[in-house]
Amino acid sequence: MDERDLIARARAGEPAAERALYDAHVDRVYRLAYRLAGDDDLARDFTQETFIRAFQRLDTFRGDSRLATWLHAITTTVALNGLRKVKRFRTRETALEAADGVAASKRTAEPDLKTRLRDAIDALPEKYRMVVVMHDVEGYTHEEIATALEVEVGTSKAQLSRARAKLRAALADFAGEWVS
Amino acid sequence: MSDDRFELLLREAAQDYHRPPATPREELWARIEAERRRQRAAPRVVALRPAWRWGLGMAAVLLLGIAIGRWIRPAPQTAAPAQASSAAGARSDLGYRLAAAQYLTRTETLLTGFRADARAGQLDSQFVAQARDLLSSTRLLLDSPAGRDARLKSLLEDLELVLAQIALLPAVRDSADVELITQGMDQSSVLTRLRTANPAGRAPVGVQGAL
Repeated sequence: MDERDLIARARAGEPAAERALYDAHVDRVYRLAYRLAGDDDLARDFTQETFIRAFQRLDTFRGDSRLATWLHAITTTVALNGLRKVKRFRTRETALEAADGVAASKRTAEPDLKTRLRDAIDALPEKYRMVVVMHDVEGYTHEEIATALEVEVGTSKAQLSRARAKLRAALADFAGEWVS
Repeated sequence: MSDDRFELLLREAAQDYHRPPATPREELWARIEAERRRQRAAPRVVALRPAWRWGLGMAAVLLLGIAIGRWIRPAPQTAAPAQASSAAGARSDLGYRLAAAQYLTRTETLLTGFRADARAGQLDSQFVAQARDLLSSTRLLLDSPAGRDARLKSLLEDLELVLAQIALLPAVRDSADVELITQGMDQSSVLTRLRTANPAGRAPVGVQGAL
């Protein structure tokens, strides 16, 4: 069934249409929430909150963007607010020094690129982390990211570029693995 | 160092970044349904703290006393010309209007800032203190001659509710509480009505909007 029909029926309060919309989008919403939160309980909370808000505000969805983009915008807002609430930002907002500190350190006995990359992404400023997760991890386009984060497409591209530069610096001692 | 290779490696390695498990679809749906049922069932009640109830009651009594005092004030010994009486009434009325205009300006500033900060997810605790301050003025205005104007009275009553909600926000705020307030503001269009009642500009108070 066409998504617009489902939206119209959900707006009219039809439970089956709400469930169909949920089924169509819950995977990506949960994935995004989990990638941002790194915690199953939080990801569930954020997903729940996203759909509750979406159903409450479905009347305000004008259809200028895809429903998925609109939902992901709600997800990022909910996740950002939620993460602020649990004060996870404090560790992540150490930003440059943390990332640079990792870069300056010597390669340890058991280098694991994925672990180091995870730590480096976690240490990114939140706006950079958001763009890296959405673009490089979840495969969103810059247009989708710009809509979700309410920024310009150019801003999204610039933030990704800066984020990658920080990650490159943080992972400098792994350079051999990508220098051909 | 090759940019392309780095990007490739980054994307590949990043797939393991907070890798999500399978979506707990049914469990999540059950939670969403339960929460929506709970929200539909829960009445939206604003409960004032006992101290506030007392404060508002005392302010109302005080105002009532002033009003009665003015009402039973003996007439002047000498017969005052009707014109003088009318001028005094107009001055008194203008005083209330000025007070109402100042109050509406302050409230508009507060609510505009509150809504903007609520959207940004960064609320200043100053809002709570200011809302408390304005809340007592709201009650005083409602009980003053300014409250006789039906349009202004309706606006003041809605503002009283919004200000009470803000004033009662706990120090550790739940985003849902803040959202309920902003939703309530939108539903009752208080900001639009505030701006209509008290438009910006230099025209004399008393000839604009509800005032």
